Amino acid sequence: MKIAVLVKQVPGSETALPILGNHNWIDEEQVSFVMNPPDNFAIEEALLIKERTGDGEVVIVSMGPARVQKVIREGLAKGADRGIHLEEDGQIQTDPLSIAKSISSILMDENFDLVLSGLQSDDTGMGQTGVLIGEMLGMSTGTLAMETDVQDNAIRVKRELESGWFQWVKLPLPASISIQSGLNTPRYPSLRGIMGAKKKEIKVIPPTDHQTDSILQSIDKVFVSQTSKQTEMIEGNADFAVTRIIEILKSELKVL
Amino acid sequence: MDILVVLEDNRGSLHRMGKEAIAGAQKMGGSISALAIGVNADAMAGELSDVDITEVITINHDFVSSYNADGYSDVVSQVIKSESPKTIVAGHSYQTRDFMPRVSAKLDIPFIPDIISMDDGIVKQVLNAKLNALVTTSADQVILSFQSATFSEEAMVTGSCLTRSIEVNLDSSIVRSEAEEPFQEDAGDVDLESAELIVSIGRGIEKEENIQIAFDLAKALGAEVSASRPVVDSGWVEPFRQIGSSGQNVSPKLYFSLGISGAIQHVVGMKGSKNIIAINKDPDAPIFEIADYAVVGDVLEIVPKLIEALNN
Amino acid sequence: MSPAHFSIIEKVILSGLTLIALGSFSYEVLRRVFIVQKGLDSLPFDRFGERLFRVFREVLLHEKVIRERPFPGLMHALVFWGFLVFGLVTIDHFAIGFYKPFMSDSVHHAYSKIVIPFAVFVVFGILSLAYRRFINRPKALGKISPTSGLVAVFIVVLMGTYIYGETGLSPFVWKINWWIHSILILAFLFLIPRSKHLHLVLAPFNIFFRSFDQPDHTPVHIDLEGDEDELDAMLNDLTKLTKNQALDIFSCVECGRCTDVCPANRGGGILDPKYHFIMDLRDPLLEGKDVAVLDQINVEAGWECTTCQACTEVCPVGNHVEKSDEIRRLEVLVEGRVPQEYQKLFTNLQETGNTEGASSSPFADSFPVFTPGKEYVLWLGCFARHGLDPNFNKSVENFTKILDVAGVTYGVLAEEQCSGDPANRLGDKLTYTMLREHNMEQLYETKKVVTLCPHCAVNLGKEYGKYGSINYTVEHHTQVIGRLIDEGKIKVQMGESGKVTYHDPCNLSRMLDIVDEPRTAIQAASSNFQEMEESGRNTLCCGAGGALWWKKETQGRTHLVRAEQVIESGADTVVTGCNFCYGMMKQGLGPMTPEGRADVVVKDVADIVADNLV
Repeated sequence: MKIAVLVKQVPGSETALPILGNHNWIDEEQVSFVMNPPDNFAIEEALLIKERTGDGEVVIVSMGPARVQKVIREGLAKGADRGIHLEEDGQIQTDPLSIAKSISSILMDENFDLVLSGLQSDDTGMGQTGVLIGEMLGMSTGTLAMETDVQDNAIRVKRELESGWFQWVKLPLPASISIQSGLNTPRYPSLRGIMGAKKKEIKVIPPTDHQTDSILQSIDKVFVSQTSKQTEMIEGNADFAVTRIIEILKSELKVL
Repeated sequence: MDILVVLEDNRGSLHRMGKEAIAGAQKMGGSISALAIGVNADAMAGELSDVDITEVITINHDFVSSYNADGYSDVVSQVIKSESPKTIVAGHSYQTRDFMPRVSAKLDIPFIPDIISMDDGIVKQVLNAKLNALVTTSADQVILSFQSATFSEEAMVTGSCLTRSIEVNLDSSIVRSEAEEPFQEDAGDVDLESAELIVSIGRGIEKEENIQIAFDLAKALGAEVSASRPVVDSGWVEPFRQIGSSGQNVSPKLYFSLGISGAIQHVVGMKGSKNIIAINKDPDAPIFEIADYAVVGDVLEIVPKLIEALNN
Repeated sequence: MSPAHFSIIEKVILSGLTLIALGSFSYEVLRRVFIVQKGLDSLPFDRFGERLFRVFREVLLHEKVIRERPFPGLMHALVFWGFLVFGLVTIDHFAIGFYKPFMSDSVHHAYSKIVIPFAVFVVFGILSLAYRRFINRPKALGKISPTSGLVAVFIVVLMGTYIYGETGLSPFVWKINWWIHSILILAFLFLIPRSKHLHLVLAPFNIFFRSFDQPDHTPVHIDLEGDEDELDAMLNDLTKLTKNQALDIFSCVECGRCTDVCPANRGGGILDPKYHFIMDLRDPLLEGKDVAVLDQINVEAGWECTTCQACTEVCPVGNHVEKSDEIRRLEVLVEGRVPQEYQKLFTNLQETGNTEGASSSPFADSFPVFTPGKEYVLWLGCFARHGLDPNFNKSVENFTKILDVAGVTYGVLAEEQCSGDPANRLGDKLTYTMLREHNMEQLYETKKVVTLCPHCAVNLGKEYGKYGSINYTVEHHTQVIGRLIDEGKIKVQMGESGKVTYHDPCNLSRMLDIVDEPRTAIQAASSNFQEMEESGRNTLCCGAGGALWWKKETQGRTHLVRAEQVIESGADTVVTGCNFCYGMMKQGLGPMTPEGRADVVVKDVADIVADNLV
């Protein structure tokens, strides 16, 4: 069983986010990076599947500048076998279709049985890459998997639906599945794992070997949300408060 | 047509997010066609008979009688190819996330998801909703999905529309998945981190007997229940409901706090909430500094009345 | 008593039985010694005189035994002193059987005048203890112990036969009595090494070898650039006990004092130090005949420990009970099993050098920067730098105010990173190594460090020293304040109103042995100071030790047990000397305060002094 896990390196959740002068994106020089938290669950699921089926290979795939090798190594330290680094120069890609085309072109010859990905990335949050790649490689696809069950040439996934509903779907292999956070407890890399990771292979694909020309969407500007925090004080008797709250819930927040 | 709105079947009736998408499309302007797929397509079309759009296209084929990613992405792609809409919109639901990227890849049309505003260009949140981003596209066609409640179904302009049914060709080899019946599951330990609506209890609830009104309010709103640390420490609710620096971190759409003072250890666990309504007796309670709506009053008086009003 | 006559047959039987008993005793003792010898490191002989004096106080005077449980402790002391007195008696007793008595009649008679009262004390003592164990059945003693019952019977009969033997008896009765007494002693010899009564032999040695440091964990040297074989060997060693630890396990007397004082246990957790850290390892040690048994420690219990060392402090036979460091580092470094709640903490430390993942500290920026001319490096710690409880920031400012008044110069290190205490205590020695190496570079030219956080002080001042030489001294801010008051550099008036009490932080009192200086400071500012129960080195941990501040799944009420004691003390103000204790008190006192009563005010030592500066 050959499993590819798509991982992304994103800014940490507590780090300050200074915006570039041209407002195009944040100044990545000043930011500390971490493994995209949802991807942790995907890596763990891949390792669990490998352990359950008894044999196989888990390959960590990531696209980005040189610094992303760090998260590839993290995956290797946890038990993955090798890594593939699609190198980017210049600013990071934000068009899911281009990213998917790049990655698909590299994964194509490897004939993976499974491609796993986190449910979305904490930076751009497009949530499509796994499914796009699945389509491009002719795989069946599934998203928000709360549980996986690998069978002969197929995988059953428990899809999370809204409002506490779930559904089991059986997909033939090869399949591309996005993993819902919380379905497993990601392991921590052991010291032996960290040491061993240094010796595992990371194949670097230079930009010219994978970049596509067509960029169909881009982020032009990032800005702080304009809605300033204006606190509306609601004083008066209980009935008045209740009326106003109902109105807020209905018309302004639209949760009723 | 200018805009194709892809609707969703919510167990026999039209999913709220589909209606919101129509309201959004109407705001964008142009000729609008809605697309209903599956065994309940006609019923869904019926719900839109008094809405001001051009038509509802219904498709019911054996292979898409109920949802599956292969079938839906193929059908929607066929419709886009034959009808050539400039824009395709849908609500950003779990289902949309499941199949729309397939359409995007099949047709090489960019998919911009989870949009929160169309007023001044296409805006979505990035970096854990800490920043907003203006997204532009150079393509002729684009697929958009709207975040829940970006538009309101009440804002749908009324009028009338036709229904048109289409035949599609679907090869049996297209649908590769085997889906079982959906089922409900007791969530068990509630995942507060993914909850959209949260009612949170603080020491202002005063006694353990009063905890029930918070749960009742949560039920009426369809919300989860959380609490501040003192309430958990007093043993009035289970530890997993604790919010704060030594509890969970949440950022729901609505955080409704009852009698929480707003100590920093609690606030760090919920300051990312999109909207905060706080009820507290003390007009100087620190929670009011970060609340969107500050209700100065007695939780024990207001909440029962609120529950009554909600249940009517 | 008449000189008895023992036939050859009797002497042969006596010799035989004695040989068997002595042989069995030696075998069992040597077997354990052999296992201890396999342990890592070596047994310490440094500070010889101090160690001997400690044995004198704790063994001969039974200091700890009596202090922690006064009445049972005294009863035990009676039995013990009686045992010592009986030494000569027993030698004489057996000499009679083999050859002839070595005490002359008059000496024997005179000595018996001392021994008989002791025998009575012993009977009184052992019966009281038996009553406690079998009728009262305190929880700490666990299940009914048949060997204890047997021992109690043995001792009573031994005393009885001795006393009886001193009365006028016919030769026949005297001989029967003599044999009963002898057989019981030989049976005792047989029983001792196979039960907790081995402490009779081992405790004095164990107390002698006990470390002067609390806690006393072996350092874990990690060199990622180094030899892989060395790393492998180091990882294998992580399962092995040291000689001292192995000796501990054989010395354990199963009294349960450690469990009695454990804050995690008292808070309703599953951790039971007596079993999880000591008893559970005994059978694996004996069966495996080797010391690689640390992986037998219950993992869940290991994560509950606050590393407060109360168990080590109270152990009457000198055990270093706590072993959470050992099991946690196995789980983290070897198994890669880290509770989810701590994974983010470790990532934050690795990526940003602080526990919160923050990219800057405005609070730290508000202080002057350290330059070589200044006296102290003011080490802030993550708690203050990143506002884990923003109220404490005021306490830091109060301390600098005191320094300013006293004319003491100080500055903060621009590149200060987390001292590494959370990583160290949670078993992530790799992250600890990264932080430690970074900080050692920052402290290269430093001579004196002062900090408000005892956890930082323990690491900078003591733990770092295990890995390399350090050329700076570390003081806790209460030491500095205490000294400034003593030297008259600051003047404090007794202006504090209300009843004031002090909660000793476990890292400060037990690990750094700083107990007096905070009291000096508080009593300069308050005329109404009263000690809490379990104070000084016997303090009860607030619950945040061992990096448990970051524990999300609070199952027990560890953090509330101490808060309750504060409330019960009736104090209006509780002063503490640690930022974590401060935070825990602030959170825990609220729910524990009964209705109608005013909230207890929480202050740091720096606060109460600054509030009352003249």
